[in-house]
Parts: sequence; C-alpha cells; structure tokens
Amino acid sequence: MSFSMAEEEDFFLEEKKFKQYCEDFIKHSQKIGDGWEWRTSKDFADGYLSKTHFQITNRNVPPDLKEKNNDNIEQTLFMHVEESLDDSQVDGVCATAEVIRYEYHILYSSSYQVPVLYFRACFLDGRALTLDEIWRNVHACYQARLLEGPWDTITQQEHPLLGQPFFVLHPCRTSEFMSAVLTSSRKENRQTNYIASWLSIVGPVVGLNLSLSYAKLASEQNTDADVI
Amino acid sequence: MTDDKDVLRDVWFGRIPTCFTLYQDEITEREAEPYYLLLPRISYLTLVTDKVKKHFQKVMRQEEVSEIWFEYEGTPLKWHYPIGLLFDLHASNTALPWSITVHFKNFPEKDLLHCHSKDVIEAHFMACIKEADALKHKSQVINEMQKKDHKQLWMGLQNDKFEQFWAINRKLMEYPPEDSGFRYIPFRIYQATTERPFIQKLFRPVDSGGQLHTLGDLLKDMCPSAITPEDGEKKTQVMIHGIEPMLETPLQWLSEHMSYPDNFLHISIIPRPTD
Repeated sequence: MSFSMAEEEDFFLEEKKFKQYCEDFIKHSQKIGDGWEWRTSKDFADGYLSKTHFQITNRNVPPDLKEKNNDNIEQTLFMHVEESLDDSQVDGVCATAEVIRYEYHILYSSSYQVPVLYFRACFLDGRALTLDEIWRNVHACYQARLLEGPWDTITQQEHPLLGQPFFVLHPCRTSEFMSAVLTSSRKENRQTNYIASWLSIVGPVVGLNLSLSYAKLASEQNTDADVI
Repeated sequence: MTDDKDVLRDVWFGRIPTCFTLYQDEITEREAEPYYLLLPRISYLTLVTDKVKKHFQKVMRQEEVSEIWFEYEGTPLKWHYPIGLLFDLHASNTALPWSITVHFKNFPEKDLLHCHSKDVIEAHFMACIKEADALKHKSQVINEMQKKDHKQLWMGLQNDKFEQFWAINRKLMEYPPEDSGFRYIPFRIYQATTERPFIQKLFRPVDSGGQLHTLGDLLKDMCPSAITPEDGEKKTQVMIHGIEPMLETPLQWLSEHMSYPDNFLHISIIPRPTD
C-alpha cells in the first residue's frame, strides 16, 4: 500500500516511498539531462533532491514590446540557461544583464509527511536576493496563482540539513491537494510519481518548470500494472 | 517532593544574566557602554532586546544602523532558536554573565534569518507550535482552537505571562485516556560541532511492548556516539534548560514538562568540561 489514508482522506507520503519516488525521478532526470541530483547530508542517510539553474534577466526592453504589453506587470525578458554554462560564457552576455543562480531543494518533512520545496537565489557575486527580488522575476501569471493557491505565503526558514536560510513554499495543505490529484489517477488505474505530480503544481510558482516528459515517467511504470 | 507543576514554573522563569557589548568596528559618536540584561531562557533574542537596541542606537548615527544581529565569540546567534538553547549550546560552561556582541552592519545573509518585525517572530513561533501538534496529535488540537487561543499563546510568551500561556498550552499537553502519551514526541537534538543544525525524526513515547521510552532510549537511537561508551569516560553532556536530566527520565514526562513554549524539547549535546 503506497499511501496511508487518514479519516480526512488526505494522502500522506511515507519516507521510504518518498525516497523511492526520488530515485525514479532522478533516473528520468538523468535520461533527459535536466540537472536534478540526489544529495546526502554528511552525518546521516538523509538526503534531498537538488537542482541549480542560472537565469539571465535583461532589464532593457525594446520600445515596441513595451507598448504591446501595457497590461504586463513584468517588463523583463527571461532566458533560461543550463547549468553547464561556465562563467566566461556568462560574462559574454549583454553587459546590462544580471545572472541569478537559483537553487531548489526538495526535502521530506517527517512532521507533516509531505515533500517540502526550499529555494534560494543569489547574484554571481554572492549577494542574496530578497523575496521581493525573487518575486519580480516570477512571471505575473504565476504571481496570481500563488495568491490563490492552497498554501501559506512563502517564508524564510533554516534549511534543516544545511542550517542556512532558504525560502520555503511549505503548504500545510499539500496532502489535501495531492489527494485530489492522486484520487483521479487511481480511478484511471494510472500509477503516478508523487514527486513529479507535486512538483508540476508547486514548481512553476517559484520559477521552476518541469519537462512534460515527467508525465511519461509515471506511465512507463504502468506496463506491468494489473488492471482489475 | 516538588510538584510537577513547579517544574513548569522553573522552566518558564529561567533567566540568563547577559552583557551586551557593541562591536568595536561599529561607528559611534560617543563611547558605547555595555548593557546588562537578564534574558528569559524561553524567549527569543529579537523579542526581548528592544532596550538593547535603543541603548546602542543612542550613540550611533541613523545612517550607520541597519538590521541588528548578535554574535558570540564569532558565531552569529540564530534569533529563531530559544535563548536558553543558544546559551546551553554555545556558552553553558563559561563564566557568567554571557557576553554577546551586538552588530548593526554586515548582516550575515548566509547564516541568519532576517527578522524585520515582531510578526516574523510570531509566525515562526506559531509554525513551531503547529508542527509540534502535527507530531503529537495529527494537528487535531491546534486546529480545533480558535484564532484567539493561538493569539493567547503568543501574547503569553511576549508579555511573560505564565498563567495566560498555560491556560491554552495545557490543552496541547493532553492525550486521549486510552493512549499512554502523544503520537510522536516533538524534539530536536543539537550539536555545535556538526554541519547539520539538528536531528529531528519520528519517535514514539512508548515502545511496542507498552514501556515508556526514556531520554536515554532517544539518544541511543538518534545519536549513539553522544551517549557514553561503556568503557570510556563521559565525553559529552546532555543538556535541557541548563540541567542534565537523568537518562532514565521518561520522554513523555520530559515532553510535557520541559518543552519550550514552542512545544519542542530542544536538547543540546555539548562537550563535557575537562577541568
């Protein structure tokens, strides 16, 4: 049995299952080369998923674009760059551009029995971004989604394994919205990767996108599934 | 034999005599005198140091002042840890008063959370209480409370009102009569020497045979290296609220009587002094 169901029909993720889903997730990530890796803490067997990516923000918007996007709160253009870009290549980009290094960690919360998304961002010189600065780099439509999402606001917290400040999107109601996702999959007799499903919902809100191929990850495991 | 309720009072009213000194590189218009204060063990640095801030800001120019932060012997002090925990972990076997250095510049972004207002402290405190209740009662007790009860917990802490706080907190310390204790015990074990800030895992107050788990059982499970090897000398101390509880103490009792107001048992493992 993958999930323990409480009276409220919330789906709780056991730690062993979390690690298994992460393992499958990493295998797929390695196949498509999108940079997720598993990191372990020095003293324990505890680990977490980690991804770093660089984002270039260009604050010079061409005049005609400004006029077309009057409704657009954001007036910045984004280009996503793979982590393999080394510093010399980055410096070659337009001088007015700023490079931001984003770090995303997915940890397991034993208290709430759900995954938790930790993230932080800094400029190349090491200066940390404030939450406001991170916000300004999230596309306007996702800002709206954050305000109406089933989660509390983002807060700054201590990373439980590294002891450093991170921002945390920690929805107390993860198990609630995940149960809706997982119930419908069960009805269709389709196995899902909890992490992929969860991340596809919470990730974009903080600028983290997931390749659509992760949906295939779940169905690849269905070939052996019994259909009753 | 002291009543168990006396323990609750002793924990609440514990104080640490502290001397605050302004960092020597801060730019002042006159010399800054040190400031002495008795700090409540159960509270948080940024909640109880308004007078410290005012005292030092009097001798500084406005433009030299940004977010205050505290440091002990080069280590930035995490304001979101209770004061008693910080003292036990970093300075418990040193001479009193505790000497803390005050900074107004160069906030260490990589080490400390920001604390721009009392609301941040309240949010952190309430988040800890909620997490503790998730462990103890699957969040049932905290969720059944009204907003005003949550507020009363915070106000009790902020205004140092023992009765006001415990009027509500006692409900968080109850458990169904058919059970022997909480579902899981909210605890964190700290060691200053590790990169990992603390150990926190699921741990039941009772074993499969119905026997109460002890503090020793917890430590054996979570950090066996910290427990005395049978042959060797005791290299470490296990400290909660400035004392070393007997390892035979039932964990359920410790959780009910020696938790901090955030409902967590914050346990420090520190090197034993070699005098």
